[in-house]
Amino acid sequence: MNGPGIAWYLAVAGFLFGTGALGVLLRRNPLIVLLSLEIMLNGANLALISFARLHGGHDGQIFALAVMAVAASEVVVGLGLIVALNRKRIPLDVDRLSSLRG
Amino acid sequence: MVTGAWICLLSPLAAAGLITLAGTRITRRGAGYLATASCFVAFGGAIASFAGLLGRDGEEREVVSTAWTWLSAGSYRSGFEILVDPLSVLMMLIVSGVGGLIVAYSLGYMDRDDEERRYFAYMALFVFSMLLLVQGGNLLLLLAGWGMVGLSSYLLIGYWHERPSAIAAAKKAFVMNAIGDATMALAFFLLIKEGNSLEFGILGGEYSSTTANLIALGLLGGAVAKSAQLPLQTWLPDAMEGPTPVSALIHAATMVTAGVYLIVRTHPIFEQAPAIADLAAGLGAGTLLLAGLIALVQVDIKRVIAYSTMSQIGYMFLGVGLGAYANGMFHLITHAFFKALLFMAAGIVIHALADEQDIRRMGGLRQLMPRTYLAFFIGSLALVGIFPFAGFFSKDSILAAAMDAGAYGYILWTAGLIGTFLTGLYTFRLLYLVFGGEPSPFVREHFHAPRRDLVGISMAVPVAILAVLSVIGGWIQWAPLWHPIETWLETVAEPLVTPASWMDWTTSAIALLLGGAGWLVAWLLYSAHTYQVPRFAFAQRVLEHKFYFDELYDAVFYRPTVRIAKAFYRWIENPLIAGGTTELGDETRDLGGLVARLQTGLLRTYALAIASSVAVLAIVFVAVK
Amino acid sequence: MVAAFACIASAVAVVSFRNPFYSALALIGNLASLAVLFLLLSAEFVAAAQVLVYAGAVMVMFLFVIAYIGPRSDSPWAGGPSWQTVGAVLAGAALLVEIIVVIGLKAGGRLADSADVRESFGSPAEIGRLFLTDHLLAFEITSIVLLVAAIGGVILGAHSRRAADEVPPL
Repeated sequence: MNGPGIAWYLAVAGFLFGTGALGVLLRRNPLIVLLSLEIMLNGANLALISFARLHGGHDGQIFALAVMAVAASEVVVGLGLIVALNRKRIPLDVDRLSSLRG
Repeated sequence: MVTGAWICLLSPLAAAGLITLAGTRITRRGAGYLATASCFVAFGGAIASFAGLLGRDGEEREVVSTAWTWLSAGSYRSGFEILVDPLSVLMMLIVSGVGGLIVAYSLGYMDRDDEERRYFAYMALFVFSMLLLVQGGNLLLLLAGWGMVGLSSYLLIGYWHERPSAIAAAKKAFVMNAIGDATMALAFFLLIKEGNSLEFGILGGEYSSTTANLIALGLLGGAVAKSAQLPLQTWLPDAMEGPTPVSALIHAATMVTAGVYLIVRTHPIFEQAPAIADLAAGLGAGTLLLAGLIALVQVDIKRVIAYSTMSQIGYMFLGVGLGAYANGMFHLITHAFFKALLFMAAGIVIHALADEQDIRRMGGLRQLMPRTYLAFFIGSLALVGIFPFAGFFSKDSILAAAMDAGAYGYILWTAGLIGTFLTGLYTFRLLYLVFGGEPSPFVREHFHAPRRDLVGISMAVPVAILAVLSVIGGWIQWAPLWHPIETWLETVAEPLVTPASWMDWTTSAIALLLGGAGWLVAWLLYSAHTYQVPRFAFAQRVLEHKFYFDELYDAVFYRPTVRIAKAFYRWIENPLIAGGTTELGDETRDLGGLVARLQTGLLRTYALAIASSVAVLAIVFVAVK
Repeated sequence: MVAAFACIASAVAVVSFRNPFYSALALIGNLASLAVLFLLLSAEFVAAAQVLVYAGAVMVMFLFVIAYIGPRSDSPWAGGPSWQTVGAVLAGAALLVEIIVVIGLKAGGRLADSADVRESFGSPAEIGRLFLTDHLLAFEITSIVLLVAAIGGVILGAHSRRAADEVPPL
């Protein structure tokens, strides 16, 4: 039914996750950081679905849907933060947001 | 009888406790009455024990009464037990009897002192400690009493604690006593190791010669420290900083005699270590000469009597070192009588002269205080050993016993006789300087007669009683004719030396002659003023510096110790300990600073940290699985 | 294959673009490819949900905000590799490698097969039924989370009242 084995799907998922991680770590614009975070979540979702398909159970799909819901909420909050920051004229640069410096 | 012994032991303790707990709720004089009453109650208990023992035959005169098991470790067991036997009863009678008289005397002497209650509490504590020492049924309790007696002595010497000299004297006494305590403890350790017990019985066990010598040496160390003999004698004259009744009780009649008691009690061990016993006798002889010489130049009335005490205890050590236990104990008894008498009479003089103690300012008190003069005179006669007063019988019996102890004994005998001459000399020097001649200007100015109220009576009555005892007390034992004391103590300690009759008579005759000669010389020099007092500058200096013992100890022990302590402080404590802790604090702070640098406040750093941790953990998990 | 490739390519694009607008567009592409992949895995409902929710709602929100904030660009690769960049690259590469290795090691040959699934594997009916029976708790909690997020969004986005309340001097 599936051309490649599940392994390939998992490889893609892993790659997505890694790329998203790179984005989170390397970009300074918080918006891009959020986007990268989304990529990571999606990678995880893909892995979940793949395993669900492998074992024939439905739990993976349910979990993926829950993850999607959580990701949506997190985006809401994150964007709200960014909008508030922008309103206060604080520069949108992750490196400059360092008032928690020890 | 056993109950009597327990009452004797515990009543002073009860008094001390009650006075302490009552605090200011009892009057000062009330505390005094309480303490005195407790001592007399103790005396009653001692009489009861004495009577009880009399009713028994020789071999049964040893009763041990255990209250509870105090210490139990492995196979070692020590009980809180008291021993009622002839020796302990003898000491009980002396301690509680003379002690009671002296505490009664204190009622008057310490009247109107600010802290009378503290004084009487301490005195009661002391009496209890001394009783514990002599009644202790095993060496452990003896040591407990020993230590507490040292403590009471410290507390009472330093009683007037506003005086720095008193505090220093108290510390000196305590430290020197502690040296003795240490040697005694070492001896006890050896005993435990060899015999696994501290009961008196194990002293008679078989020990190797080295062990016996070491144990005896340790015990001798304790006795020497407590009784102020060579080489640990320097604390006694300084102890005169305490009130006069304290000097009378502790430093004449009881505590300083504890060393003699110890040797008699532990005599089996000394008999196994004859070298140490001879050493004890030799130290006694040396001390009696040394003290006699120093007493010749003392100008403080109490210090003369203190050196006299040191000298007389030297006689006792001489006696018990040679094995004449009964004679030594006899001298202990009579000495308690006349020495306490002398101290108390001196106390009356001091009080009358507004606390002046320098005899160079005194003179002519015979006309102003005739009764006190009489008491002092009786005490002096007893001390010098003039027939028929107490000292004659006891001191001469010791010297006679020395004749039975071989060549070494003869050397000691000679020393003892020279000591007799010195005793006569310094005793009557004191008498004439204080009481003889015309009243000095100082006396005329400051004298006030003793009052006839309670204060005066409380001081006068014990003095009178002791004067009587000094007269008749010696008649208890006159060696060639009757010797009940020796018989009494036979079950406890068999004498090793028994002088023949001719020895007794010879010794007594020579001693009497020499004592009289000393008196004559004193009379010539200080009373009749026939000759000038000879002045040998060098000898005078040496004697006044007490043979430089204090300076020697200062140089050998005190200064190096202080230097070592300072060096330790500078090189070890300050850099290592103080510096160490400071550095610890500094480094912790630096470390904290380092860690704080991780808190960059940057999101990316934290995210990086998370990512790397996850990576590492994943590797770890895979590897482990 | 194509979908997989598209997925990966768009992911890299998201990370690399300077302009956030372009990054967002790339993400949409990524989401679409993922939906295709889900379909290939017989998870129809999830695929549909992905397109509707993610690509539709979430990305639209993103684009709104990006437009609101205005163009800002930053260059991730500028300034040479600081120790942070190096560390980040290392960590990311390590993660990637690990995932592959682990999965390869653990699963062995099992990954080649796939279970036989019923027709209703990914159907909405099936998933709906599961939500209401076996995974009811997850369902409920997810709803609460969404509610909280909505409230949070409102709070964060509210204009601050204080500045407007300052009474102007007479």
